[in-house]
Amino acid sequence: MSNNSSAELHGIIAEYHTVEEILAAAETVREAGYTRWDCHTPMPVHGLDRAMGVRETRLPWVVLIAGLTGGGLGVLMQWWMNAIDYNYRISGKPDWSLPANIPVAFETTVLFAAFAAFFAMWIANGLPRWFNPLSRNARFARATDDRFFVAIQASDPMFDQDATAAMLSSSGAHAVETVEEPDETSRPPAVFRGAVWSLVSLAMLPLFLVAMARYNTSDKPRVHLVPDMDFAKRIKAQAVSDLFADGRGTRPPVAGTFALEDMEAVGADPAYYTGKLGDSFVTDFPLEVTPELMQRGQERFGIYCAVCHGDDGRGKGMVAQRAAVLSPATWVAPTDLHTQPVVDLASGQLFDSISNGVRNMPGYSSQISYQDRWAIVLYTRALQRSQAASAQDIPEGVNLR
Amino acid sequence: MNPVNVNREPVLAPDLAARVSRVGLVLAVLGLGAGFALGAAEGDNLRHFFWAYLVGFAFFFTFTLGGLFFVLVQHVTGAKWSVSVRRMGEFAMNTVPALGIMAIPLLYPLLTNAGREEFGGLLWPWVQPHGEHADLVAMKEPFLNVPFFIGRMVFYLLVWWLMARFFMKRSLQQDTDRDPAYAPTIAMRKLSAPGIIVFALTLSFASFDWLMSTAPEWFSTIFGVYIFAGCVLTIHAWLVISSVFLQKQGYMKKEVNAEHYHDLGKFMTAFTVFWAYIAFSQFMLIWYANLPEETGFFHSRTTEAWKTMSYLLIVTNFFVPFFGFLSRHVKRKPKMLAMWAVYVLIVHWLDLYWLVMPSMSPESNPFGLIEVATTIGAFGLFLWAFARQGVRHSVLAYGDPKLGDCLAHENY
Amino acid sequence: MANTAELTHAELDNIIDPPALVQGKDDLASITDTVCNVAENKPPRAWYIAFLISLGVLGMLGASIVYLVITGVGVWGNNQPVAWGWPIVNFVFWVGIGHAGTLISAVLYLFRQGWRTGINRFAEAMTIFAVICAGMFPAIHVGRIWVIYWVFPIPNQMALWPNFRSPLLWDVFAVSTYFSVSLLFWYMGMVPDLASLRDRAKKKMSRLLYGIFALGWTGANRQWHRYERVYLLLAALATPLVLSVHSVVSFDFATSQLPGWHTTILPPYFVAGAIFSGFAMVVTLAVPARALFGLRNLITMRHLELMNKVILATGLMVGYAYAMEFFISWYSGNKYEGFAFVNRAFGSYAWAYWIMVSCNVLVPQIFWFKRFRRSIPVMFVISIFVNIGMWFERFVIVVTSLNRDFLPSSWHYFSPTYVDFATLIGSFGLFLTLFLLFCRFLPQVAIAEVKLQTPHAHAHHGDDH
Repeated sequence: MSNNSSAELHGIIAEYHTVEEILAAAETVREAGYTRWDCHTPMPVHGLDRAMGVRETRLPWVVLIAGLTGGGLGVLMQWWMNAIDYNYRISGKPDWSLPANIPVAFETTVLFAAFAAFFAMWIANGLPRWFNPLSRNARFARATDDRFFVAIQASDPMFDQDATAAMLSSSGAHAVETVEEPDETSRPPAVFRGAVWSLVSLAMLPLFLVAMARYNTSDKPRVHLVPDMDFAKRIKAQAVSDLFADGRGTRPPVAGTFALEDMEAVGADPAYYTGKLGDSFVTDFPLEVTPELMQRGQERFGIYCAVCHGDDGRGKGMVAQRAAVLSPATWVAPTDLHTQPVVDLASGQLFDSISNGVRNMPGYSSQISYQDRWAIVLYTRALQRSQAASAQDIPEGVNLR
Repeated sequence: MNPVNVNREPVLAPDLAARVSRVGLVLAVLGLGAGFALGAAEGDNLRHFFWAYLVGFAFFFTFTLGGLFFVLVQHVTGAKWSVSVRRMGEFAMNTVPALGIMAIPLLYPLLTNAGREEFGGLLWPWVQPHGEHADLVAMKEPFLNVPFFIGRMVFYLLVWWLMARFFMKRSLQQDTDRDPAYAPTIAMRKLSAPGIIVFALTLSFASFDWLMSTAPEWFSTIFGVYIFAGCVLTIHAWLVISSVFLQKQGYMKKEVNAEHYHDLGKFMTAFTVFWAYIAFSQFMLIWYANLPEETGFFHSRTTEAWKTMSYLLIVTNFFVPFFGFLSRHVKRKPKMLAMWAVYVLIVHWLDLYWLVMPSMSPESNPFGLIEVATTIGAFGLFLWAFARQGVRHSVLAYGDPKLGDCLAHENY
Repeated sequence: MANTAELTHAELDNIIDPPALVQGKDDLASITDTVCNVAENKPPRAWYIAFLISLGVLGMLGASIVYLVITGVGVWGNNQPVAWGWPIVNFVFWVGIGHAGTLISAVLYLFRQGWRTGINRFAEAMTIFAVICAGMFPAIHVGRIWVIYWVFPIPNQMALWPNFRSPLLWDVFAVSTYFSVSLLFWYMGMVPDLASLRDRAKKKMSRLLYGIFALGWTGANRQWHRYERVYLLLAALATPLVLSVHSVVSFDFATSQLPGWHTTILPPYFVAGAIFSGFAMVVTLAVPARALFGLRNLITMRHLELMNKVILATGLMVGYAYAMEFFISWYSGNKYEGFAFVNRAFGSYAWAYWIMVSCNVLVPQIFWFKRFRRSIPVMFVISIFVNIGMWFERFVIVVTSLNRDFLPSSWHYFSPTYVDFATLIGSFGLFLTLFLLFCRFLPQVAIAEVKLQTPHAHAHHGDDH
């Protein structure tokens, strides 16, 4: 139907003033059988879809699929990152703990669905568009203000300039005008395109650099844009420092300094602090014997001694039992504390053995306080007594079942 | 949307209502009777029966309270879309007296000595604190003691009954009086906002009392909201079912259309999601912190006998219904939506069962005929009380000033 | 009814036949004019004054952040055991403010509340700016802001990934998703209005700029069709999203084992509080803006009254949560829980607790009275009270739970420093600067959506189906 003169013609627009008019006009155009046409309105007009015969969009499906993809990827990402690629236990949760992954999976679901909805809508609408021939028409500017338009494209198979215009006029249009194809190109200017592409490429650059850095190895130290605490100003032990006149980085103790322990040992009570008087071990117990001290001794014995010597002091602690199985060459079995030589030892010697060690047994002076060492001695004595007890040792009044 | 002119005529279905209420009564008598007989046959002093009875009671209670909330919220928001189905919500809310009747047998496990020694009580185990948590439970005695508990029970029922009566009476008055100043509607609107406050507090404490205290050592601040989600879900499903039923019987053909079903369906979807949100919040926070005093509740439900059911609930109560009636096409087909509504009611019952029963029997799932029978009985009692009101009253609030808007209402 | 017939009549109007959402001249062209004129004409003098002040306060924010980054987080009052202190209080406060916008756009859209159209653009803009303010605080709170990218799951030089079992990371996802989706929603709603501005523009530059962002929109019905469907879908997606964001923020607290933080009602309680504070902020901003820019016919008394009702309702929900927390802290039988709540109300921060309760629960009760709901000065003052109360709510949650450690030897009274104050006040500068720029250059009211609420948008025949 189209003739040569309409080759430069873009289409025909007709202007209406009310919703009623545009609805009626839309029905007229639809019934006439046009396919390449649209109504332009300042706001969505309900009922126009039906009048124009617009089919229901399939965008909801796109959104559903995108949402499911987002949720799936969200779970997959968390599983791979926390349970596979870099798995570690934290806050008492399994590497892959689904309940803890639901919030993030939910967010990715919404994120994907919303982005899909937004971008698919613009793509389906053929937007963004740099230039629209309709905007050449001065009247048409009011399509976004208070006027309603029908625009029929010249490319419509039914289009005939005169007949179409006549039909629109008779449909109640307040004005019918032709719109011509513009002379200028409808593409955005080169400057604009260049700017967009440079921005997009620049935005990709950091990601690209990170990805590159991640799969390259290098001998050079990393670039320290911000030094953090990598280069703290400190002096290594025993190193030279010009801060002090003597050039020593490690400072000697101030003159007259001595350890607190030494003061106590040297001072008041050598029997208590060393277990010795002169060169001989003390045989008296230097503390008052109380049930509390005995209990303390029992507890400390259980913590420090029983692992080797055993709860009963027979030298059958867990370590000893295990060593008996493995029987390494250097192993010396722990002493049975109930053998006569040990029972005969002076209390001071027991104290000394705990403090400084004996044979393979290390000294415990750094771990057990003086008083606790004496408490252990006390308990050891009680233990020895208990293992060699006879019926006469039982105090009167104790009920033996 | 221009309001269409409506002819303000009552929609009366007394014969149908009488028939339905008779069916309800028969179900109630048979169900509760059979449950009782089965329970007595178990020879456990009716312990299993009373726990099952509590689940049925809770099921009934969510219909009533859902109805109350539905009516209150329509008035407080001045909703237009819901006018044509609101009367059914009012019928549901006005079943408080029947709920009260059903509450009476619950006094027995509170007052009897049976079961106190072994379980701490025939039903609620705090009646006589026992076992490893006895001290903890005994500490709650100022709140969890029998006289105060019964007092609160009476108080809740009384408050709901007064509220239901107030709104029912005004709504009927609006129909018959034809008051051009719409005084009854304005009165309802004014009282609906304070009504919601009373509703929120009574519902929360009633669910603490009746359901949460079945595991007296456990606690959760969100519990009231959890039960609330179930109530709202239930009432929307019930409105769909009763509307479809009425229409099938030839009533309300014009007054309820696809638009209204669409909206009811939207609320079903929304509250399915809301339920999942609340359930997840409650579970996740307790699971994550893993504090011994709280985590026991979920521990007994996610291990051993209850494990399968717990995982199943996630599917049946969220995924299946969510995708089932997400589409607008489903929401706009009354029969299909009604099928989904029945499904929603069933899984809502499962949720209540899962909430209560593991506290009675942590080692095994006792599901059997006794639960089915008592639940049918409880539902029958509700149906009887619900339908009996249709004998005397119109099933449409035909005097409501917004009825015209309601009928012209259109979704976008 | 005992009331006078007149009152009954007014009540009746409100219930049966509420006043129109657009008042004065409501033809389509004057709606376009009213909104576009703001962007086209020179702004009133008050705008310049406000903008200059905001810029100054923004400068203060910049200075305090620079000082913080150079010196370290020691410039704040944060210390053990109150390691979260003000920055996190401010973060939760701003995220909360950022909830009203999307709620108004999405939730009220789904509920078909036509009145949202007068205020939604405005509130959405507020959302975006509030979320920007919010996001800033955790970012500077991490201390070494230059490695903030570690919170994102992007490959980094240490070949390790973020810990997805941490609620703090969920926050990163929730807030950034919320920001992106809100931005899309806001922008999408604005496209038809930008097209209106483009088609009216006289100057070449503004025609070009509005033209670029209007994407070539011409209001074609086939485009409107997809546009409206997607708008509905975005609303349906944004609704659970808006619930999720503050829920996830609440998880930061509630997944812990700290008394006063670990309580299951926290997610819905935080959401209600967020809506509460968000609406209060909308009222605070809408009251001066509608006067300043001549938008009284589009943001009417009815809009404001409805917002005040929402404030009242959400205030009650917050009150419900306070009461439940208190009751359960006793009912739980956990003495640490019990102590945490008694300490809130009667401990060293009792003053903050009672400011919170008065501002959030007591003061809004005045909105039960219609007279006060409709009074501009009253609602303005109350909305500010609510803003203050909600800030203190977050202060009470963060500080009172932390400052009483399990070990009494660690107990510590938190006091902010001047940098804390400068940062908080400065964040308002950032917010207001962005907001004033928006008021000046973008359509403040959703033109096309408001048009849809007028009688001109509906055919008076053939509406059957």
